[in-house]
Amino acid sequence: MIEYIVIVIAVISAIIALMQKDLLKTAILTGISGACIAFLFVLLLAPDVALTQAVVEAAIVPVFIALAVQKTKRVDDS
Amino acid sequence: MMDMLIPLMVIIPIICALMVNILHGKDKLMRWVSLIVAIIFPIIAIIASLGTQYFGGHNSSLISSALPATLASVSSLSPGIVYVFANINRIFIFLVGIVVFLSLFTYFSERKKLSGPYLFLIFMGVASVTALLLSNDIFNMYVFFEIVALTQVGIIIASSSEYKYETAFKYLILGSIGGPMLLLGIGFILAVVGSVNIADIVAVISTNVVNPLATPLIFAFALMFFGWLYVSGLPPFHTIKSELYSRARPNGAAILQAFSVICMIAFGIAIYRIFVYVPFFKPAIIIFSLLAMVLGVSMALMQNDFRRMIAFLAVGELGFIGLGFGIGTQLSITAALFQAANELIITALLFIGFGTVYYLTKTSDTKKLGGLITVSPKMAIMVLLGGFAMAGVPPFNGFQSKIMLVQSALNAGLPELAIVAVIVSIVTFFTFVKAFHTVYLQPKPANLKFAHKKIPAIATFSVAVLLIICLILGILPDLVTKIFIPFAGGLI
Amino acid sequence: MIMSTQLVCLFAAGAFIVIGLFAAIFIDNIIKKIIGIAFIEEGVNLFIVTLGYKAGGVVPIFLENMSPDWFVANSAYPLPQALVLTSIVIGASTLAVMLALAMVLYKKHGSLSTKVILGDKND
Repeated sequence: MIEYIVIVIAVISAIIALMQKDLLKTAILTGISGACIAFLFVLLLAPDVALTQAVVEAAIVPVFIALAVQKTKRVDDS
Repeated sequence: MMDMLIPLMVIIPIICALMVNILHGKDKLMRWVSLIVAIIFPIIAIIASLGTQYFGGHNSSLISSALPATLASVSSLSPGIVYVFANINRIFIFLVGIVVFLSLFTYFSERKKLSGPYLFLIFMGVASVTALLLSNDIFNMYVFFEIVALTQVGIIIASSSEYKYETAFKYLILGSIGGPMLLLGIGFILAVVGSVNIADIVAVISTNVVNPLATPLIFAFALMFFGWLYVSGLPPFHTIKSELYSRARPNGAAILQAFSVICMIAFGIAIYRIFVYVPFFKPAIIIFSLLAMVLGVSMALMQNDFRRMIAFLAVGELGFIGLGFGIGTQLSITAALFQAANELIITALLFIGFGTVYYLTKTSDTKKLGGLITVSPKMAIMVLLGGFAMAGVPPFNGFQSKIMLVQSALNAGLPELAIVAVIVSIVTFFTFVKAFHTVYLQPKPANLKFAHKKIPAIATFSVAVLLIICLILGILPDLVTKIFIPFAGGLI
Repeated sequence: MIMSTQLVCLFAAGAFIVIGLFAAIFIDNIIKKIIGIAFIEEGVNLFIVTLGYKAGGVVPIFLENMSPDWFVANSAYPLPQALVLTSIVIGASTLAVMLALAMVLYKKHGSLSTKVILGDKND
């Protein structure tokens, strides 16, 4: 049952991330969906992939995005 | 001992890449290290003995006898990465080595200050391209292709053209769509077959262990075909690929196109081996190749920028390679491989040769150029001969491979393709002669400024060497075709 | 109707790929485009890991007290997991290069819009 909840959170946070006006929130929401996928990997019997995913997609990638946003523009005004 | 040379072909460029990056700033040392490695690399390709390298000792035939009977069914698949070094790999690795050596040589002669990161990218690309050729594992090929794509982007960024960042970004965006699609295709194959080793996949599919026309396999074909179009720069990716070539430094572009040709050949052979039974495999390849030929040549005709023009012509020539794979007879695949070897050399010649024009004047706009034959008649004549080789004028190598391709199209009962190929060659000829006339022969415009007075002698030497290779392959095509013919026979 | 874990994860992977493709093609802001590409890669990774899953299986780590027979029959297939480890790292490095390029392009054009960055040139 838990996988349904995790998947719903992952997909919804991905969609919301792309609809955000504030790009810093986008970075954080990307991290959330990455962390959810890392949790899914544990359910899918791949613990070492889950570790990598948790470090890379849930921690490093959001930080990269946040840094890029800080160096450019925070608001998406299109 | 000799077997160790196969992995060394990948390891040596990687070590050299790391070394030149550390040595940045010590120009003389960097020059020597990279030149020595660039000479050693093709030599290794020649002296290495043929063989197979099993990484991690996963030689499946050895394992299966040593394992308990219950695991034998698992070990019939090779779980490790396998490198196969055959004569065809030897030829292509050697040619890449030559092109890289001559381009680096030219780069060194044109610049006083060298860039360590730029050399790092080139050697990293060489290592990846070699691994692509050697690897018998589609996932490993995908990984190395991603490295090649990143190095290609880096080589663009290292150039001095105005829109380099935009081009690099566009290429990365398209690449990040094309790359995952390729990986998704590999995933579908993995779902059906359970292995990423090409020999295993072919064995499983050909023995009908799985249904060859199962929907996942057809999906996998479509996705990997899309990936192949991106890898090789056939339409719809021809504009970005040619933009890539034209934004790089000319001697960098010579290396970039060599990478593209090798990627196309490596993935083309892999896809051909796995999916040749799919009913619309050959028509699909033929259609996209024809599109590449026609679009490449017609867009080359419209260019005012000679670097852009050669780039489009190079894409058009890629179409010939694809056409050979698409016709799918022994003769046509031989012609395709021969054409690939020729294009590697000829396009490098043209980029380095015309690159000297850019070096002299810092412009590549044909409207602003003219009368450059007075600066260096030798170079002008060699570039003209290189253009003839590309258009397929005897006695050069382009003629040999193209006549072989036309012959194979006629033999296969597809005279239309032969006619298109001949017409495209003729248009290539005219495009080239027109560009040559405007750059070299027409009177020199009064406001043409020179950044340098003379062409470096090493550039002339590089072009001469490439031209000699063209001539040798044109007069003695048996040197390489006698290796390609059995290989093509084995593919079918 | 309750779907199996494997099927539902395949749907999730498909959803991620579609969302990512949509973002990479239609969204104008380049940072979001890049995030969309990261989503495509995540979806493909999830798809490949799902292939190795075995319902009611065990993690593919061979322990002393297992018999080889039982292990082969019950463990998840480890090859896809090994592949995904590499592919996650490739995705992250591509993303880093793209973000660096986005920063350079912002400095040059003063905008994050694709139309402004890629539109205004005399191609």
